[in-house]
Amino acid sequence: MSVQTQPTGRTFRTTDQVDFVVIGSGPAGASVARELTRKGFDVLVLEQGRAYAPEEMEHDELGAFITERWTNSSQTQPQTFRTSEQETAQRRQFVGYAKAVGGTSFHFTGNYWRFRPIDFNEYSVRGGVPGASLADWPITYDELEPYYSAVEWAIGVSGEVSTAPGEPRHSRPYPLPPLNVTGPGVLLARGCEKVGWSHKAAPMAILSREYNGRQRCHNCGFCLGFPCEWGAKSGANHTMIPEALRSGRCEVRSGCTVFRIETNDAGRATGVLYFDADKREVRQSAKAVVLSANGAESPRLLLLSENAQHPNGLANSSGMVGKHFMFNGAALTRGEFEHEVNGHRGPVVSRITHQTYELDESLGFIGGGGYDFRFDVPAMLMALSLPASEPQWGSAFKQRLRSWYNQSLLCYAHTTSLPVESNSVSLDPALKDAWGLPALRTTFREHEHDLAMYKWFQARGRELLDAAGALRMHDDPINTDPGFAVHLLGTCRMGNDPATSVVDKYHRTHDVRNLFIVDGSSFVTSGRGQPTLTIQALAFRAADHIAQFARANQI
Amino acid sequence: MTLARGSEKSYASPTMTLSRREFLAGVSAIGAVWLTGAVSCRENTASDADSHAAEPLATDGAPKLVHFSAEDAADVEAITARIFPTDETPGAREAGVVFFIDRSFTTFAADQADFFADGLRNLNATVATLHPGISRFANLSDEQQDSVLRSIETTEFFDAIRFATIAGMFALPKYGGNKDYIGWKLVDQQSVMEYEPPFGWYDHPDNQRTLLGRVL
Repeated sequence: MSVQTQPTGRTFRTTDQVDFVVIGSGPAGASVARELTRKGFDVLVLEQGRAYAPEEMEHDELGAFITERWTNSSQTQPQTFRTSEQETAQRRQFVGYAKAVGGTSFHFTGNYWRFRPIDFNEYSVRGGVPGASLADWPITYDELEPYYSAVEWAIGVSGEVSTAPGEPRHSRPYPLPPLNVTGPGVLLARGCEKVGWSHKAAPMAILSREYNGRQRCHNCGFCLGFPCEWGAKSGANHTMIPEALRSGRCEVRSGCTVFRIETNDAGRATGVLYFDADKREVRQSAKAVVLSANGAESPRLLLLSENAQHPNGLANSSGMVGKHFMFNGAALTRGEFEHEVNGHRGPVVSRITHQTYELDESLGFIGGGGYDFRFDVPAMLMALSLPASEPQWGSAFKQRLRSWYNQSLLCYAHTTSLPVESNSVSLDPALKDAWGLPALRTTFREHEHDLAMYKWFQARGRELLDAAGALRMHDDPINTDPGFAVHLLGTCRMGNDPATSVVDKYHRTHDVRNLFIVDGSSFVTSGRGQPTLTIQALAFRAADHIAQFARANQI
Repeated sequence: MTLARGSEKSYASPTMTLSRREFLAGVSAIGAVWLTGAVSCRENTASDADSHAAEPLATDGAPKLVHFSAEDAADVEAITARIFPTDETPGAREAGVVFFIDRSFTTFAADQADFFADGLRNLNATVATLHPGISRFANLSDEQQDSVLRSIETTEFFDAIRFATIAGMFALPKYGGNKDYIGWKLVDQQSVMEYEPPFGWYDHPDNQRTLLGRVL
């Protein structure tokens, strides 16, 4: 069967004052582009990565995880890391994302959880936490709900609306039935039923049936970290981008590393400066700018765009740009079973439980999460990650790999993480990237309440595995250092007060009237673990309002 | 602040801030998986990897060495064959892992070639000390080889060659190792890219009925 190739779209001149320049082609930027072109606007999307053809989308574990074939580069984009503002940051790649047309949805797993009302108002309901800046969102679940449905139907999400207590309202069912249940899914269900927990089909951005001319999932198992050569994963490169291009009003210009958003004396954004693939400096004029570069690169670009009028960086009069970096916490335990689980075939996740979405205050922490069972990585990383208690080489190692690969699975808890002001993205004062720009610096330390919560989740995860019949269990240690971050959230938080937030409830920056920020950086809280659907729903909603402002000449 | 390239060895300590054990424990968290690569790669890795893949194996179909001397290759092959021995099933030797490692030093791991060469030299010095009259690891018996490797098990060099061996066992054959998908067959990872359920024992409808009383 053939796989659709990308339509070509428009070509704008750099001197054209396009209606909107969107920085980043991930789920946020691509969705804004699709929505704004549908509403009649011209949109230029600038993407630092490139588009990949289906034949390049190999099951290349070395490329996906070791040699950075389609992720951000440690060589051209080095980073630094420290745990507190008093330290000098050391070189370390801490933040990871896909560098390709489609952004991180190019290689995502496709977990498409909605938020619940509590994610938007947990501060009011539960109160604050010392050492954290928990706050309410300026919008509610009900305001976002129509956009959740719109995204689910636009891209094709497979799932089943649950009737369990606490489930949020859905105005429409999922457009597609659940994906095939897998061994880990059956075992999750088994464990949940033994301990009396609810469980449900995982909502996944993967097609269980043909949809909008795209093929269904072929159950190859290579989702997490890999692009989908069939186009069955509903990433932006298979959905929003081709639709935006087909409108005839959109150009996706790849290989463009944006390094400055320009503003004029009136304080308006006038366009952007970027390096093209040959490192030539190019200026693109635009009537308005939408920044969708992800929760790490968006604040970095604002800080890089400092000028005399904006000495602390663009849109940063509050000083909040880059602050409150959140990733979603995790607690992991591997379980080994008697028979073949074969979780490496079929979708990575097929069943989840949200029984632990909201937890009792008496536990001593605020937050919650959910679980899935999965086999998360292919053979190479599996072999590299056998616990120290197991043989590491020789015939015993060879034999162990086979049972580990086929009979084990990972109990994966996905949780909230608290917004802490000192956890941040900033510019490294010394290290430069390949374009001579200050490198991305992360400052991060887990909040003690979050660490207590991860431990609680790990203990409950062991109970779930035990109930499911696990013969042996192996905990991943819970550390104060999360190791690596892929859900990049909270760094340009949304709020009504310009003194404490970066964008308003319509994603317009408080400081620059024609600059909008739409991506994970807008999050006020982290949600329970799977942010992409919410990023995309926010993008659909933002585009609605941005279009209204544009039509009313209010940009 | 920039670190010297020499301190970034993917084949050596996979991370600069976590110990190997911590790394191994954490690798299954999505996060840490990229960490291995994160400290390893030169610019243009993807295109390097592609051109690396495009190199002809040799006109007669047998792979050829592009970096190692024949003697070094024999030692490296012998080490990989102790990590994945040939027993009831084929091992690293049959999978051609040495050719993967050989090519890596002209492509994505070029910056680590010296580190690796030093490690090999030190290993053979150890061999000569422990076994007077023998100067190359490859010339030891299997048991002697295992014993020497156990004595260096905690070194960066052993971490490096173990890492490289596992990578060469499971990377796509186009990178030089995993010949005929021998590595994948070892764990029953298929090279067909489509499956239909049931995928394993637990999702088989009969077993779902036993476990859950129904079929999901």
